[in-house]
Amino acid sequence: MSMTAHGSAVETDATPDERRWRRRCLWALLLLVPLALAEQSYESVVTLLNNSDRLARDVAWGQAAEFGGSEWRLANLRAASGVPGLPPNAVPVLADFTVRVGDADLQGHWKVCMVMLIDAAGRRWLPSGAVSLKQPDDVQRCNSAMFSGAKNGDTLKISETFLVPKDATATIRPAVSLAGERPRYLRFQRPQG
Amino acid sequence: MGTDEKTMFATARSRIKAWIAAGAGSAAAIAVAGMMGAFGALHRPPAVLAPGQPIDTGQWLATPRRAYLSGEGAYGLPLKPGDRALVVEIELENRTAQSGKDYFDLLRPLTPIGEPDAKPFVVLTRDETMSPALQPGLPERMAYVWAMPDGSTPPKAVTLAIDGKVYKAQDNLYGTPGWFNRHELGTLTMPVGADATTPDLRP
Amino acid sequence: MMRRLANIGLLLAAAVLCYGLQTTRPHYADLIAPIPVYGNLKDDVALRTFTVRADAVTFACTLAIEQFGRRRLLTTGGVWAIVTVALSAKDSTTTIAAATWKGPGGLLYDTTERLSLAPGMPPVTVQPGLPGKGRLVFEIRPDEASEATLLVSEARYFALDSQAHIALGPIAVRPDGLPEGTVETFDLSKDL
Repeated sequence: MSMTAHGSAVETDATPDERRWRRRCLWALLLLVPLALAEQSYESVVTLLNNSDRLARDVAWGQAAEFGGSEWRLANLRAASGVPGLPPNAVPVLADFTVRVGDADLQGHWKVCMVMLIDAAGRRWLPSGAVSLKQPDDVQRCNSAMFSGAKNGDTLKISETFLVPKDATATIRPAVSLAGERPRYLRFQRPQG
Repeated sequence: MGTDEKTMFATARSRIKAWIAAGAGSAAAIAVAGMMGAFGALHRPPAVLAPGQPIDTGQWLATPRRAYLSGEGAYGLPLKPGDRALVVEIELENRTAQSGKDYFDLLRPLTPIGEPDAKPFVVLTRDETMSPALQPGLPERMAYVWAMPDGSTPPKAVTLAIDGKVYKAQDNLYGTPGWFNRHELGTLTMPVGADATTPDLRP
Repeated sequence: MMRRLANIGLLLAAAVLCYGLQTTRPHYADLIAPIPVYGNLKDDVALRTFTVRADAVTFACTLAIEQFGRRRLLTTGGVWAIVTVALSAKDSTTTIAAATWKGPGGLLYDTTERLSLAPGMPPVTVQPGLPGKGRLVFEIRPDEASEATLLVSEARYFALDSQAHIALGPIAVRPDGLPEGTVETFDLSKDL
């Protein structure tokens, strides 16, 4: 315990070697602090980026695409008419899919199954509960099909109903998103001919 | 072995030093905590509360009104055939600045009722709504309903512990405001009436 | 000795600095608090995902509601405040689930939980290009009616998103303490 001449609280009887290392450590912080921040936030950033439907995979009309362990094909995209009690501007639209089950673990692969319509301006419509149209018995909704107990090779008919303004009906395209496949999603070409 | 002896003494001395330092530190901490009122809640005998009088529980101004047995479902709650229900009615006024329903922890029956630790249904007596949020400054009469299984002996009187909570402007984890530290304010004994015509208790 | 004093001084300075930061810096709750977007009655208030406009405020002593095929009357110890709002989604289907009546005294009244199944009650889902209407019902103290603010957001609890703060303006008080224009019964079963 000797008193140093300059009496500083920190700089005491450090050897030149210690002083050199102290300097090196301080410089290293310049690199280490940003690195630590990057490491800390890496996982959150990846989760954030992967949690949205960003990368569209276009599927031509009539083609099937493998998605979430099954083969998805757009069967039809049609407007329903004569539905009472809707705003004058609203058109009910049905998107029908046929899905060949490739992996029967639907509850695992189809988590947060979302069918949507996307128009040319990038607006997105989710299925609407405001209209319920009569459908044949073998037609299911995406989320109910998850629990249907379908086996490998089965073909499911999936249909969702939307409510879309008239001006959007000319450009809307159906799309399918599954939590396990994000950020990729399927975007189907509209029915041709 | 002169050097060994020396180090032994040195370590013993430093150990004593450490003890003294630690002891002084703890004493200082306890003294500071005491000054900040940490022991205010110790050794305070539980208060005996009276029905018909408002009790400030922090979030609520609670006025116990009456207790009675109900043969059929009380306030729209279905009962199993043969079962009865113990109903405790309390007027609650939300003292906080926002709508809330943190009133499930308010009452703890000390008299055994049916299943131990059975949670009561809490119903708005005005229109039988199940546990709605209550609005600030608008007192409402609420019914706490415990189902009493067939065969259990109905108590002549029910003793309840009334619990309160403390407001913290910042909690220790997120620094957000909230109500914490549930503690007993006192006990309350109410005679149990025979049916729903039981009148309100007067203080 | 000098050095020890210097160390203690440094420690004290650090404590003062920390205390200063603790008292002057915004708290976590403030940092992630809703981002207000201000407006008045009948203004379109554009939030991140939807636009809301408060069209009218009505006060009532009793609410009438059709529930499970029978008509019920809902009384209150205060007064019912019914706000009709117009809602439109920006670029994707949006569900608006939370509204709060903030009285002049700062009391926060959430939409009532005493009724459901009536038309226009939150949560209200709106589709892009298809504006909709909502009816927000609050049970408030009569003295919290004037100069109130309506807060509207997608969810009750959220971080780093916008919230509409709509000033509802002054409302005169009747001799009986209720707001001017309070109706006896407001029928909630009729469509908006």
